[in-house]
Amino acid sequence: MKFNTVIMGGGLSGLTCGIALAKAGQKVAVVATGQSSLHFGSGSLDLLGYDAQGAVVTNPVEAIKALPESHPYNKVGDVAAAAAQAQTLLAEAGIKVNGRATANHNRLTPIGAVKPAWLTLDEYLTFDGDKLQCKKVALMNIIGYLDFPTKFIAEGLRKMDVEVEVKPITLHELNEARKSPTEMRATNIAKVLGNEELVMHLAAEINSKAGDADMVLLPAVLGIKNDALAQLLKEQVRVPMHFVATIPPSVPGTRMQALLRKRFEALGGTFLNGDRAVKGTFAGSMLKSIETEKLEGTKLEAENFVLATGSFMGRGLVSDYEKVYEPVLGLDVDYIADRTQWTRDNVFEAQPYMEFGVKTDAQLHTVKDGKVLANVYAVGQVLSGNNKVKLASGEGVDMLTAITVANNIIKK
Amino acid sequence: MDPNIKEYDVIVIGGGITGAGTARDCAMRGLKVLLLERFDYSYGATGRNHGLLHSGARYAVTDKESATECIQENMTLRKVARHCVEETDGLFITLPEDDLDYQKTFVEACQAAGIRADIIDPAEAKRLEPSVNPSLIGAVRIPDASIDPFRLTMANVYDAQLHGAEALTYHEVTDLIINQNRVEGVRALDHHTGINKEFRAKVTINACGIWGTLIAQKAGVTVNMFPARGALLIFGHRVNNMVINRCRKPANADILVPDDTVCVIGTTSDRVPMETVDDMRVTPQEVEVLLREGEKLAPALATTRILRAYAGVRPLVAADNDPSGRSISRGIVCLDHETRDGLAGFITITGGKMMTYRLMAEDATNLACKKLNVDKQCETATTPLPGSEAPEQLSKKTVAVMAAEGRHGTLTKAIAETTDVVDDALVCECEHVSVSEVNYAMDNLHVKNLVTLRRRTRVGMGTCQGELCATRAASAMCRKQEQAADVKADLASFINERWKGVQPVGWGDNMAEAQLTATIYEGLCGLNQYAGKEDLK
Amino acid sequence: MADQMQLNNISENNFEQCLKCSICTVYCPVSAVNPAYPGPKQSGPDGERYRLKDPKFFNEALKMCLNCKRCEVACPSGVNVGDIIQKARMNNPHKPKLRDMMLANTDFVGSMATMVAPITNFALGLGVSKAVLHSVMKIDKHRTFPAYASQKFETWFKKNAAADQDKYSKHVSYFHGCYVNYNFPQLGKDLVKIMNACGYGVHLLDKEKCCGTALIANGMYDQAKRQGETNMESMRSAIAKGRTVVTTSSTCTFTMRDEYTHLLEVDNHDVRDHLTLATRFLFQLLDDGKIKLAFRDDYKKRVAYHTACHMERMGWAIYSTSLLKMIPGLDLVMLESQCCGISGTYGFKRENYETSQKIGDSLFNAIAEADVEAVTTDCETCKWQIEMSTGTPVLNPISIIADALDVEKTIELNKNR
Repeated sequence: MKFNTVIMGGGLSGLTCGIALAKAGQKVAVVATGQSSLHFGSGSLDLLGYDAQGAVVTNPVEAIKALPESHPYNKVGDVAAAAAQAQTLLAEAGIKVNGRATANHNRLTPIGAVKPAWLTLDEYLTFDGDKLQCKKVALMNIIGYLDFPTKFIAEGLRKMDVEVEVKPITLHELNEARKSPTEMRATNIAKVLGNEELVMHLAAEINSKAGDADMVLLPAVLGIKNDALAQLLKEQVRVPMHFVATIPPSVPGTRMQALLRKRFEALGGTFLNGDRAVKGTFAGSMLKSIETEKLEGTKLEAENFVLATGSFMGRGLVSDYEKVYEPVLGLDVDYIADRTQWTRDNVFEAQPYMEFGVKTDAQLHTVKDGKVLANVYAVGQVLSGNNKVKLASGEGVDMLTAITVANNIIKK
Repeated sequence: MDPNIKEYDVIVIGGGITGAGTARDCAMRGLKVLLLERFDYSYGATGRNHGLLHSGARYAVTDKESATECIQENMTLRKVARHCVEETDGLFITLPEDDLDYQKTFVEACQAAGIRADIIDPAEAKRLEPSVNPSLIGAVRIPDASIDPFRLTMANVYDAQLHGAEALTYHEVTDLIINQNRVEGVRALDHHTGINKEFRAKVTINACGIWGTLIAQKAGVTVNMFPARGALLIFGHRVNNMVINRCRKPANADILVPDDTVCVIGTTSDRVPMETVDDMRVTPQEVEVLLREGEKLAPALATTRILRAYAGVRPLVAADNDPSGRSISRGIVCLDHETRDGLAGFITITGGKMMTYRLMAEDATNLACKKLNVDKQCETATTPLPGSEAPEQLSKKTVAVMAAEGRHGTLTKAIAETTDVVDDALVCECEHVSVSEVNYAMDNLHVKNLVTLRRRTRVGMGTCQGELCATRAASAMCRKQEQAADVKADLASFINERWKGVQPVGWGDNMAEAQLTATIYEGLCGLNQYAGKEDLK
Repeated sequence: MADQMQLNNISENNFEQCLKCSICTVYCPVSAVNPAYPGPKQSGPDGERYRLKDPKFFNEALKMCLNCKRCEVACPSGVNVGDIIQKARMNNPHKPKLRDMMLANTDFVGSMATMVAPITNFALGLGVSKAVLHSVMKIDKHRTFPAYASQKFETWFKKNAAADQDKYSKHVSYFHGCYVNYNFPQLGKDLVKIMNACGYGVHLLDKEKCCGTALIANGMYDQAKRQGETNMESMRSAIAKGRTVVTTSSTCTFTMRDEYTHLLEVDNHDVRDHLTLATRFLFQLLDDGKIKLAFRDDYKKRVAYHTACHMERMGWAIYSTSLLKMIPGLDLVMLESQCCGISGTYGFKRENYETSQKIGDSLFNAIAEADVEAVTTDCETCKWQIEMSTGTPVLNPISIIADALDVEKTIELNKNR
């Protein structure tokens, strides 16, 4: 099978790259090994939340300039332009987000902490500084849903000087669902609440419990396929209503994944779901084709290849007793050889392993055995030099490097 | 005397299994007892061993007295601590590099000590325990079993309380009150409130394991102890269902024990300076030794995920006439400081093994009773611990209830009898811990924070090491809104405590899992904003 | 060995690679509609640790697993979640009910039924028999049994096609499966038509038994294993003649390629690479330039492709859809890949009917919205479910290709290849 570009990895970075290329008229295939890290998402996307010293960033575009040279943002070029392109790409995929690359806003986390964010889904709670646009919040949770610790969230809200009342809510259908001791998860609740009729019932339940609150907050348990039901609920609730992220699996993340894939396929892209690139055939510094686990005997040939396989948790990087390696193509990896130096004693210190990743040149070409590969690029978390947790930079690195590589490929 | 200072017959210092057992025995004999623990029950060596109910076979050749003690206690604990014991049986295997002649010596020694030891065909051994190294050339079946030290300790504390004892955790003894060569009580720092308290008693029992040497110092007497550190590895699931030992002289990493949902290989054995006994981190060298030797028992260990590593310190005691420490006893040491040092009202109980705790408690209690002129027989060998009574049929038979039954025995009744399905929901999915079980532990088992909740219920002890369940558990623990900030700090501390055991084995799936945990707790939740509280103990 | 220690952390079915990320639970079609099913994570890796400790932790609710394997497709860590669940079921077998034996023994029941096809079809359609099946046999009364053909495919083949096959220079063997043989011989005829046009002779296997999918689902593992061994034996002798074995059912293919080794311990290592779905075989020949296809100018149809669960698991939908996309007159709509709910014999059972239909709901709506003349899928049980639930006819991609094929031109194109 012949393509212009084959992308290994079907998460945010792989699909962003795929959409950008397909939109430019390329024939693109994405090989996706299982579902992606979007499923642990918050409903917000980060560009740069903290600088290298850990201070909160207000203007990511500016702060990015001060990142160390090894950070992948330094290979993006015009960060503001790439960020704008990313935002357009999301909008065209049906992912309605608010935010600006030059000014972070805040989001409320599932345990009631406040974190900076770049873009946030339209129905989700955001605020500037520590000021919520309300006096009294009705913090609602579905009875039996354990992944939304209301007391923790209430504590966070109260720190912002708002009055909070916690209100348990339920519906007959949700009472049925919670008979399962384990499967009362955000995503399953969203499936149970998957039709307009139930959303109307839910709205009535919320309205009856909202009391004199001037804002309703709800766990992110609605709108797993698109935002239609979530918007409907918002319209039906009599006071402003917003969603707050839950412990995974994430409904907004699952939605983003589905919408991005849909957009990619609508642009003519080929999405090989649940498959895995296993090896490549090289000719000099060029990768000719890759083979996958499932499509034995079929070579995926392309002019360009993009590695978007993620870090350790995405299995784009693998470590063992002795080393860290890139399992598909055996690309060169930046890491510390001494295993005792991979980690630090305190889990909340910056962990060195978080920055391990494949080596790339200024155009994000990968390197194998010390030689730059002319047609193999890397994007997203598989790149070295980015501690996405400390910098709050995950989605930004995913999308901006993906867009950069797509642009580099199109320019060729 | 200050009327606010409480007066007891006996103060037991140390909430390990020895202290808990001693408190129970004293209370059962009608004494007024106070148990003081500086952190949590089973924080020290009690919670840092194999969880092996020795048959005694391991000591049969070298130390017949210990072996006899073991087999007797083994049979006793199977009855009185039924719900803490799993009757797995064990194998002593001979590998090609071992001397098969040793097997004969071993079996004879076992028989002499009263331990049933049956030589079985290697093929039969492989059938009984398919994970065993298939190249074995000999096998002996012996009545080893596994025992859960957390449950065992808690059941003893619980029963002591049922018999009127008081028990306080996070109370660290700062000094002993000595008046005219008599210990009259202790002063202790309450770690939660920061308040120093005074407690008085006619007899004070030092049951602090290796830390007993420090308590003795405070009393101005010397107990010569030699800290022997042992490291162990926990694997993600049960590879074996029988205990597997090497049939040779005891050495490194030659015991593999199935403990609940996991299995544990150990141990190393290194003399360490007393100053290091609070440093429980496992070194890469220890990990390497354990793996290299462990896979000889069960080759599957080489490809099984290691969940975490931990270490404990054995309280080895030197004989009084040998300050060099060459003549070390593994037996029980019960010191009457009145006859030994001229210090009245003070007893040290140490040495021994986790599984001989009941005998140790009996010795110490006998001595205390003698001092207090109480004439009552020990009944701990025949009275079942709470949870180990004859089982009743439970109203529910869900997996969570069955799992809880493994942890709480007959006391599970209180967990099973819930009416609201919300209480049946699982907090910890790896270890099947329900909301109801968490509530039960909170109400009955001295749960102060997430680490103590883990020791009572196995929350966070499964493969995800708290990644998925810790927030749920913390949320369930947070009963009042005012506690929220503190509980979040606890949660941060708990994630760190779990990391400490994972870090020495932080490669492969553990690294992937650690990254996911960081992504959820720091990336998604911002839990790092609440970190900084000192480690939970 | 010590030098290699811990380089590969792999347990059986990779269950310790599970990071507890819970992504599998998002894609389980059952737990969302039936709270009695504990979901793939709890039934799979979580439950397995406890079952290793004590088999009493086996939970009867595991039987509600459809074995659709969508959890495995979703898993980012390569855990064979579905296999763990199926293995646990195998370790806790129950004596199958008469109903299950009847549903599972597709070839025996099929042979009996085809002999008296009109009577069977009449009887199975009759209200009274449906009521009997519903109440006595616990087969849901809403189900339409697939009609039995009056002539088995094998009989047709031997009478009408077998003699011609040797004249071709290249050859394949065809594992037709029970469905083609008893219910829908036309699909087999369609395959013969295409292969012959491409210059390939088609041959039956020396001996073909039901692949065993239904037997596995109904707990009849020993019989499944025996049949699997027979099939592998027959395929080996075909392969020895240089023939690839092609099929027209994704489920049969998946079972024989993957479940045989993962679950039944039937050795297929020498067969697996030579056993393939006909659409994949054709695509690869086309991709390598070894054959060419020509299509009728007057063919016109709007069709929606449904990715069957086991097709999704195999990752092969790309082959069928790539082939279909070559047909100029075909307007192909891609349906979002999701379970239709039937899962072989699962949906036939009265106790599962409601769950089965709830699972399929979203797919049925998507089909209604797609506004197509037909649905196409590689799985025959999906066909039953979709036809019954939506009224839209369902065709195998091979039948569409056969219908659209310009036979004369195709023969011409492949003549001297």
